[in-house]
Amino acid sequence: MSTSTAVRQPRMKLKKTTGDQLFSLALIAPTLLVTIVFIIVPVIDSVIKSFTEYKIKNIISGAPGVWNNFENYIKLFQGGKLWPAVAHTLLFVVGVVVAQFVLGMALAVILNTGLKGARFIRSVMMMPWVVPTIISALVWMWIFQPQYGLLKYAVGVFTGGAVSDFAILNDPGTALLGVAIAALWKQVPLTTLLLLSGLQNVPDDMLEAATIDGASRSKKFFAIVIPYMKSVISIVVSMAIIENFKQFPLIWTMTGGGPSESTTTLAILSYREAFVSNNLGSGAAVTTLWMLLMILVVALYRKLFQAEDMN
Amino acid sequence: MKEKNLPLSVGKWVLLAVILFFLLFPLYWVLVTSFKTNMEAYRATPTFFPDAPTVESYIKLFTENNDFFVYYKNNFIVSGVTALITTCLAILAGYGLSRFHFKWNGLVVAILLSSQMFPVVSRMISLYDLMNKMNLINTLPGLILALTAAMLPFTVMLMSSFFDGVPTAVEEAAYVDGASRLAVLWKIVVPLVKPGMLAVGIYSFLMTWDDYLHCITLIQNDALRTMSAGVAMRYLGELSYDWSLINTISIIGTVPMLLLFFFFQKYMVKGLVAGAVKG
Amino acid sequence: MKRVLALVLALCLALSLAACGGGNSTSQPSGSTAGGSSSAADAVLSEEITIKFANYALLEDGYTEFWEGVKSGFETQYPNITIEWVTAPYGEITNQVINMAGGGDMVDIMFGELDWIPTLEDAGLTVPVTSVLTEEYLADFYPSVLDSCRVNGEIYGLPMYISPFILYYNKDLFEQAGLDPNTPPTTYDEMLTMAESLSKLTTADGNPVYPFGQTTASVAVSGAALTGMVYNFGGTVLDENGQLATGNQGFKDAFTMLHTLDQKGYNPQNSKLKDLRQLFATGQLAMYYDQSWGFNGVSSINPDAASFTASAPALKGGSGNGASILQGQVLLYMDNGDLQREACRLLTEYMLTEDVLVDYITNITPAYPAKQSMANMELNPVLQGAASSIDNLSSAPFVAAQADLNLELCTLAQAVTVSGTDVDTAIASFEQTASGMLG
Repeated sequence: MSTSTAVRQPRMKLKKTTGDQLFSLALIAPTLLVTIVFIIVPVIDSVIKSFTEYKIKNIISGAPGVWNNFENYIKLFQGGKLWPAVAHTLLFVVGVVVAQFVLGMALAVILNTGLKGARFIRSVMMMPWVVPTIISALVWMWIFQPQYGLLKYAVGVFTGGAVSDFAILNDPGTALLGVAIAALWKQVPLTTLLLLSGLQNVPDDMLEAATIDGASRSKKFFAIVIPYMKSVISIVVSMAIIENFKQFPLIWTMTGGGPSESTTTLAILSYREAFVSNNLGSGAAVTTLWMLLMILVVALYRKLFQAEDMN
Repeated sequence: MKEKNLPLSVGKWVLLAVILFFLLFPLYWVLVTSFKTNMEAYRATPTFFPDAPTVESYIKLFTENNDFFVYYKNNFIVSGVTALITTCLAILAGYGLSRFHFKWNGLVVAILLSSQMFPVVSRMISLYDLMNKMNLINTLPGLILALTAAMLPFTVMLMSSFFDGVPTAVEEAAYVDGASRLAVLWKIVVPLVKPGMLAVGIYSFLMTWDDYLHCITLIQNDALRTMSAGVAMRYLGELSYDWSLINTISIIGTVPMLLLFFFFQKYMVKGLVAGAVKG
Repeated sequence: MKRVLALVLALCLALSLAACGGGNSTSQPSGSTAGGSSSAADAVLSEEITIKFANYALLEDGYTEFWEGVKSGFETQYPNITIEWVTAPYGEITNQVINMAGGGDMVDIMFGELDWIPTLEDAGLTVPVTSVLTEEYLADFYPSVLDSCRVNGEIYGLPMYISPFILYYNKDLFEQAGLDPNTPPTTYDEMLTMAESLSKLTTADGNPVYPFGQTTASVAVSGAALTGMVYNFGGTVLDENGQLATGNQGFKDAFTMLHTLDQKGYNPQNSKLKDLRQLFATGQLAMYYDQSWGFNGVSSINPDAASFTASAPALKGGSGNGASILQGQVLLYMDNGDLQREACRLLTEYMLTEDVLVDYITNITPAYPAKQSMANMELNPVLQGAASSIDNLSSAPFVAAQADLNLELCTLAQAVTVSGTDVDTAIASFEQTASGMLG
């Protein structure tokens, strides 16, 4: 993250280093303590549990789980639920992140063209972002409601009555899309805001110079604007990846993973294994795989991004 | 020149209208529904403006179910305190990471970045266990600590990129003048990152306002619940389903956040943006 | 010895007060409680006791008044005992109770669904009701009802009130479709014939009318409703030993029926019970299966619903006789020592009397009483039609993986409806998953 490393250190005197070390430790310590105690330790504990037979009996009696030779994992890989969940998760993440980026960028570009009222629009478009997740789930459930929902009515009108029972969350083919729409609704505003400020930071003189050189609009955009915004884009996209990988309350409230498990992502699967099937060990195994996959995807993304940086 | 740009300009406006419609219409729809009676809300041909506007659901919310406002108050306390603690810790740690480069920095960053990724579901059981041992279950301080932990990774990284953006020359001059490290941080650097502080504070406030899983797991006493959990419990039950009331709750639950955002948006936007852009 | 006798007498006195004329049967402490805990029986009347009562319904619209009434009534009668509520959403409360117990903080009593019994029993949380209540007291409950609460022979939950899955139907819609509002269908075939004319109706504002509703959305109670439907057709889901027993015609018939209903567009897709209640309340659903207390959800949306609602026993299908399975809202007990158990007994005996319960189960949450001594109480009028179904119950065995199995049944129902998988393939895939689950 920090790129200013190279700029400063050399002039520091050596004896200052010890003091700096202590001071820096003291600054970081409280954060580190809270993070380790409330996040790292529970996560490690959960990974350990994933290798054991751990059920609610163990919670109640306080007995530690018993090592069960990877049985949780073996059962997961043999059962038919893991791979669909992985697929749904990846589909959801990739779909939402791409759509979010495209929509956000489009809106940001438009707002950056010196539009009248751009400031006002920028304010009001942020509204969905501050709507709590549970409430945004409710908002969209109401719109998608199969019998009195607005969407059903609108589809009915636009198809001239040909499709009179459109229920996006009830069809296994479209349910994930329905949830994705709700996720997009809440996330597009922040993406737009960040991209917009990235755009505003692109120096005008560079663009002017390019205009004088006769560069086309799209050329300017891809050759100057995008590279200049690299760091913003990198942050925006990795934030979006993480956020959507972790998405739980929205899906759980809207579909509970159905219909026909078409919206069962790894988040839903792990919750179901742990708290519906009451098999905490197996739930922990799902979360462990889930975290590994997330780390893999984020690492891959960063690598791709850096590789492009080299060119 | 002008004619050439016309299609582009029209396209621009159409696209803008579509995206704004997508973002804003649902809120209008919720607002309108909250003023309908249940029977009107359930019509197959929806009314885009209530036929017979009624504030029945609002009255119901304020009179019959006013425990809702207990959740509200708790949420303000929890989110407010969490934001405060998070901001303080993020300033310290962010400064530490940005200014001093020692071998453990990589490790700290790795811990923070990975913490940011770990889903809440994955640590709920263990977290409950831990909190219970510390006698923090069913207390607001417990919930606040857990939420602070969840907020720190992102906010520390954000703060640290803010500090990265502040030139070091001033600090070095102050060191030469013999100022202590703490004085430099407090008197020189902190004032320079005020937008960042506000951004971090408001960001954590908004994010914790949204919390659902922590509260559901760590709080059992209804008098201590925060809004999302309270709403899920009281109004999305298996027994009853009252869409007008739910829409009313959505409005009431969102309005303070909107006000807060509009009031602070100058700092918020500047802060988040500066942090992210310069990171 | 004299002292013990005095205690027993004091206890009897207290109990007959508590029973409020509920009959003599309640005032005899049996050997099981009198033996080890006569000191507890004494202490329960004097010591300060707090009962932790886990109750999701407390905060749901329309139920608060009853539960707060129970608390204040009970605390007035026993000033030394305090009820402390532990609340959580319906879907979270079992986890909540489990989490709390894991932290060494066990509730004393819990209000819940019949279907939650196996989970909590498997967790080793609940104790048999016989360790809290006397045999004599339990003798007043319908044996078949208590049988529905058995796990491995022991009764783990005490039903407060009960209901099979019954058929609610809309008399006005029947009339509009030219059907006799007093002759509901008795078989699935009759239902399909009636559905044909019902499906042509629309409501005053042009909404279509669904003829028949059966819940299939992924929540555990939908699985119970589907199990009930399998029994309607004379099928089974599990055998007595808790092994999968789905290779029967009734099971296949039930899901074929769901497929048919879906093909014809009769059944609102992928709906939860509360969705069906909403449709029924707004006159968009002519018939649907529900637990009797679902009517509360209907009337909370449309206060006039009582004027058009009637009930009937579940339909007969295939070679089945329309048997239904029992649903009940039960009390579950956890063991925090003699004193707490005694206090829970007093609370139970206070609550399950006609005085306390009657208004609740007639007017608030229509249901059938679980106690024989309450058999003559006045039923909510909408329940009259289905009253006979209480005698046609099959008790479905419980397994530890009950909640999971129920969700799999929902997935199966969704497969033959919204996913359009053919019935045999869907059942085969269900059997594979479910047998892995029951292992």
